[in-house]
Amino acid sequence: MKKEISFTLNGSEVTVTIDEHLCLIDILRGPLGQTGTNEGCREGECGACTVIVDGQAVNSCLYPAFEVEGKNVITIEGLQEPNNKLSVFQQAFVDHGAIQCGFCTPGMIMSAKALLDTNQNPTEDEIRDALLGNLCRCTGYVQIVEAVKQAAVQLKNKK
Amino acid sequence: MKRFNYYKPRSLDEAWELKEKIPDALFIAGGTDILVGIKNGELYPPALISLRSIPELNSIKINGGAHIGALTTISDLIHHPALYNIYPVLVEAAKRLGSVQIRNVATIGGNLCNCSPCADMALPLLVLDAKVRLQTAKKNREIPIDEFFKGPGETNLTPNEILTGIVLESPRKSAKAIFLKKGRVRMDLAIASLAALMEMEGEKCQKARLAAGSVAPVPLRLFKVEAQLEGTTITDKLVAEAQQLAAESVAPITDIRATKEYRRQIVSVLVKRALKNILGWSQA
Repeated sequence: MKKEISFTLNGSEVTVTIDEHLCLIDILRGPLGQTGTNEGCREGECGACTVIVDGQAVNSCLYPAFEVEGKNVITIEGLQEPNNKLSVFQQAFVDHGAIQCGFCTPGMIMSAKALLDTNQNPTEDEIRDALLGNLCRCTGYVQIVEAVKQAAVQLKNKK
Repeated sequence: MKRFNYYKPRSLDEAWELKEKIPDALFIAGGTDILVGIKNGELYPPALISLRSIPELNSIKINGGAHIGALTTISDLIHHPALYNIYPVLVEAAKRLGSVQIRNVATIGGNLCNCSPCADMALPLLVLDAKVRLQTAKKNREIPIDEFFKGPGETNLTPNEILTGIVLESPRKSAKAIFLKKGRVRMDLAIASLAALMEMEGEKCQKARLAAGSVAPVPLRLFKVEAQLEGTTITDKLVAEAQQLAAESVAPITDIRATKEYRRQIVSVLVKRALKNILGWSQA
């Protein structure tokens, strides 16, 4: 059965007609054309599909699309800065070589953002815990953790 | 993926009505297990009845004891301002469940109803002597949690019944508890896990509760070990005997995560660490 749902996506109201059995990632990448969110394992292990729903990092592959009705969703596209400038997170990942193939990066950044939105001074343990559900098969995580530390400092200085 | 209808009832009555109409529908909480089951072709329900929008299932009430709504997410348990002070073992176990993304969605009731032998939330609830509240439109019952688990994926729930909440008594001041989990990596399911609680009066153990995960068809109370410890003064020798008894009480299987022999060994080690930690003899 098809149903219409409305929610906030990266600050804009969207209304979309969906099949009830779909998950959030299916409608993001499908009808909404937001392909920055990647689908890896489809079963909540890899975190490539991480987005933020009402302030919390979730796996969009395990989030029934129907449940985002009325909620506030932020995807990697929502971090875009005006004039093609790199966001704090993007710059930090570039500076530290925290990207190789890049497939896990959107999910990593969304998990990091969810952490830094609620905790301005995370310890390394807290960063590692926040990224536990995001697998990276290239970099070995050290550079990613360093990048999140840099992003934390820069975001704090911005405020 | 198989198609299904998705319903979002706003009340328990509405949920039961839907279930009456579509008997093969499944109730769904956070969905982190059911949706994986559907994607893998292990489950093929015609409809899912989501319990997420039923407000009465979503609260934690503390009043001497505690009532935890079944739809409380694992993250809500961790971030609750008062819960950790009263039931630290429950929150410690919550922190070891899955990843942040899973904890933000998975619920305490869903973890129990999925009835995996490795269910992290089952163990602290077993040692806290929790009760689960099971409701249908007509009947309301409360049973001790160790009667809830029947087998892998199989609970005491009747077809139309919903686990609505968990009831906890207030723990004695002298009670101390710990949760230990051994997995290959931190996020992984447990190879073996253990929760233990003891009430000590001086040197004497007044009450002991132990529960082990991933080592039997269900999250398992170790009744024999409890009986052996209660009423005794705990010595090194007794701890060694408890380890032996625990290893004999479990019935693990060999799977991709570990062999049954290794699981038995790990349970024994976890019992030692838990008891010594509770007694203040060592850090776990």
